[in-house]
Amino acid sequence: MQLIVNIIVLAAMYALLACGYVLIYRVSRVMNMAHGELSMLGAYLLFATATLFAHHPVSAIAVAVLMSILAGVLVYVMLMRRMTGEMVLAAILTTIAIGILLRGLIVLIWSAAQQHPLQSLGFTNPSLEVFGGARISTCAALIVLMNVLVYGSLFAFLRFGRWGVRMRAAGQNPLLAAQRGINLHAIYALAWALSTLTGSIAGMLIALDSGLDQSMVVIGLKAFAPALVGGLDSLLGALVGALIVASAEVLAIHYVDPLLSDVVPFLVLIAMLTVRPWGLFGTREELDRV
Amino acid sequence: MLKRTLASSGAAVFAVVAAIASAHAEDAYVIGVTGALTGPSSSTNGPPIEGLRLYVDRLNASGGINSKKIQLSILDDQAEPSKAAANAKRLLTQDNVSLLILSSLSSTYAPVVAESKRANVPLMFMGAVCPKEVYPPAEALQFCTTAYAGGYDSRATLAFVKATAKEPVKLGLVAMAIPLSRGEIDYAEQHAKTMAMTTVDKEVIPPPTPDYTPFATKLKDANVTWVFSWAPWVTEVKTFEALRRLGWQDNYIAWSHIEAESELARLKDNKLYVIGANSLFQDRLPVHAEIADAVKKANVRYPAEQMTEGWIGGLVLEAALKKVGWPADAGKMRTALESVSVDTKGLRGGPLQWSKDNHFRTRQYYRVYRWDDAKSAIVQAQDWTPYDVQ
Amino acid sequence: MSSRPAASGYFRTGYAADLALVGTRAAVMWLAVFLLALLAFPLIASPFQLDLACQVFLACIGSLSLMLLTGYAGQISLGHAGLIAAGAFTVGILFREMHAPFWLTLPAAGLVGVLLGLIFGLPSLRLRGLYLAVSTLALHFIVIYLGGEYETRRGFSTGIMIDPPQLGSISVTDGRAWYFILLAAAAATLLICLNLMRARSGRAWRAIRTHETVAETLGIGIAAYKLLAFVISSAITAVAGALFAYYRGFVSVEAFSLFLTIQYVAMVIVGGMGSLLGALLGAAFVTLFPYAVESALLALPGAQEIASMLFAVNYAAFGLVMILFLVLEPLGLVGIWRRIQSYFLLWPYKQRPAGGARR
Repeated sequence: MQLIVNIIVLAAMYALLACGYVLIYRVSRVMNMAHGELSMLGAYLLFATATLFAHHPVSAIAVAVLMSILAGVLVYVMLMRRMTGEMVLAAILTTIAIGILLRGLIVLIWSAAQQHPLQSLGFTNPSLEVFGGARISTCAALIVLMNVLVYGSLFAFLRFGRWGVRMRAAGQNPLLAAQRGINLHAIYALAWALSTLTGSIAGMLIALDSGLDQSMVVIGLKAFAPALVGGLDSLLGALVGALIVASAEVLAIHYVDPLLSDVVPFLVLIAMLTVRPWGLFGTREELDRV
Repeated sequence: MLKRTLASSGAAVFAVVAAIASAHAEDAYVIGVTGALTGPSSSTNGPPIEGLRLYVDRLNASGGINSKKIQLSILDDQAEPSKAAANAKRLLTQDNVSLLILSSLSSTYAPVVAESKRANVPLMFMGAVCPKEVYPPAEALQFCTTAYAGGYDSRATLAFVKATAKEPVKLGLVAMAIPLSRGEIDYAEQHAKTMAMTTVDKEVIPPPTPDYTPFATKLKDANVTWVFSWAPWVTEVKTFEALRRLGWQDNYIAWSHIEAESELARLKDNKLYVIGANSLFQDRLPVHAEIADAVKKANVRYPAEQMTEGWIGGLVLEAALKKVGWPADAGKMRTALESVSVDTKGLRGGPLQWSKDNHFRTRQYYRVYRWDDAKSAIVQAQDWTPYDVQ
Repeated sequence: MSSRPAASGYFRTGYAADLALVGTRAAVMWLAVFLLALLAFPLIASPFQLDLACQVFLACIGSLSLMLLTGYAGQISLGHAGLIAAGAFTVGILFREMHAPFWLTLPAAGLVGVLLGLIFGLPSLRLRGLYLAVSTLALHFIVIYLGGEYETRRGFSTGIMIDPPQLGSISVTDGRAWYFILLAAAAATLLICLNLMRARSGRAWRAIRTHETVAETLGIGIAAYKLLAFVISSAITAVAGALFAYYRGFVSVEAFSLFLTIQYVAMVIVGGMGSLLGALLGAAFVTLFPYAVESALLALPGAQEIASMLFAVNYAAFGLVMILFLVLEPLGLVGIWRRIQSYFLLWPYKQRPAGGARR
């Protein structure tokens, strides 16, 4: 039982992080390697606001969320906007460079020590008993819940929302979309904002659950495997990919060797890349477009 | 044509580096320090260096030693082996230091040791795990003041577990997936056998793990009654927290890293023990007040209770320099270090003594602390227990 | 080195001149001066500066091989640190297990590089761009995992120590000796790369990078040349790793993090894509940059207080420089260099030469 709960929690973490990769890639064909850092930034912003608004956890969270959205938009407007139409490698490298810069700045501002935003907010994280004697921490449960919420609203937004439809159009054919009067830069900025928002929520919740330090970056990087396994341009793929990678990881820890948990996501990824490079739910033609 | 730029740009950069690196202190003891001031392991290795600096600044303010000031050349290696090697080379060949102090990740040891051997200058590990070479029979040039050390730590911990546990122990072991931690936990597993304890589960956890619950689940499913973790603090505490979240209520003992004191107070758990060789600030010894005072005056980035390692390093440095006299050189420094005996003023269980073939300490003392709900404070679970080092 | 005036009033008049290793007599002269300067450098340099120079040479070998692969053949690889690690571990394992001498371990490292190049290269037959980068990244993690397992299983928890290489009865420990060895290695790598680029292989790689389909219609065996690029590049990289192991006297997994890959990619970018000179410039720049930042910071007043933030400042500055180059100067240092060069060559006339505008 506990095993299933563990898989679901880990999958939820991966899925929440992975959808950020998908959102940006789907719209602008840019692989955002700074996603881990941006998520971490969100978590640190929460830590900062939590100490600032010591007795108003709600306003602290709200301000942190707003600031992280702003960070995403800023990254696009100031840097990524200039990279539109450049080589893939150049765009990827720019995001890597942004990541390095962010990591440096974060250490400069908050130092590399382990932080506990949960305490600063004045919350506790008791564990809840779910079915069959399995237990889950409140924050982990929140992560699962938030996943349902985020994916639900994203699906609805892309299907029915006015801007959602525009986003899909921009992703499918930027030229035609632009000719129909869709403001591509606004769409791209929106994608960056949404991606940073979901990433930051994931970062904040993981930080609340188990503390905050630089290792958040690597977690963000690991979530990149599920995004690719599912197919980089499919939200549903990210969800399924997260479930596959998380199961593989948890089962490897439990039945094979805990040491493997580090490599398992990448092994799954390699297997997928050799069999079906465009991922489970990805579009095949994507391959030639990169 | 192709290389002309390289010539000019290279020469320019070399010139800059040369100009800045040639600043020398004429009338002071020059001691070289390389360590992970920043970077992934800085939360462990940074504070000792700060502590040392604090101690040396205080010494200098009161006139120095043998009426000479001490100049610390501190270089950051960011826990990167190549940078550590370059730092060591620079300190040894350019600053001509008489002693090299290292506080960094274990992967930087090999290159720094190689440099120190080449230059024949003693190397002191401070706040970074003691390598086997400082145990008797010790390598001539390597010394170590750090509290933790492979082998003895596991022995002391398991002895405490054995003494405290009422019923037979089902032991769980937790390591981080770095060679050092794994090695020690493997040793603990071997040693537990000789003490008639059964190890029912051993978890080796990769450092960046999003969720520690899967590992904790395995420990819990194995019905462990005691868990021993000897790893960086992150792994020790996150595994513990994951276990508690799963509803596991038994005893957990972890190595008392510099974060331990504040963390015990944060977690407030009766059955979380930390074992270590440094006394915690809650003992309120005069020396603790002294450190806290110095921290307050100097505006240090780390809390006072993390300064202990660096302070001890400073005590040793002071004792050695007093013996060396003026002027200092590497040879004299080595002889002085070989017979150092430092009163640790209660920071450790006893004096720190080195001999010709023991550069670790002749006797290592361990103390165990835990949180006590009834008193709402940290209490001693076991007072200083000595282990002779042979 | 395409058709671009190398000096004012000099234009290549035939294919032979275009293929020549060194263009004009002036170039030969400058090259000689530069070589002399390099040879004389150890006489005046301090050991620390020698160490920096050695690091630059090592970086040059690695960045040249990456330039070959990414800058010319257009194959993105994020597995560079993994390959360097593989070379270093080959030396470490062979030395530890059977005390193999360097004339055995170096070729062995090269061989391992060839094998890994085949493995790293296989995905390139199917994948392009981003996906290729990811699959090489995955291989990086696997190499590091295996290295870590070896270290732990054999109990080398603080890294594998390697004795200096033996030349007859002398062991090479002196900084100057290393300087010349690494200089020779870097020069040899440069020569190999130059020759590869002016032969059929170089033309094939450039064609593949520009347009795969067109290259195929020109009769270029895409698969073979892609694999060749991976194999050659990996072999050189692995040998660089082996030299690194000997130079530092140790091997340890922590020395080959993902950040090392990023540094090498940065060398290629900062130096200037598709230029061997760029690879050299980039290697020197990225290697020396942190030291320069450090010196600059420590020269400021209150240096000791800043010391504890050095890493963060360095890290942030490195990211910033990379961003600046990518956004403002995609041609890299080479681009800047060429602009300055043509400015002076053509002074006082401001027009750019026909060929120079592009590169």
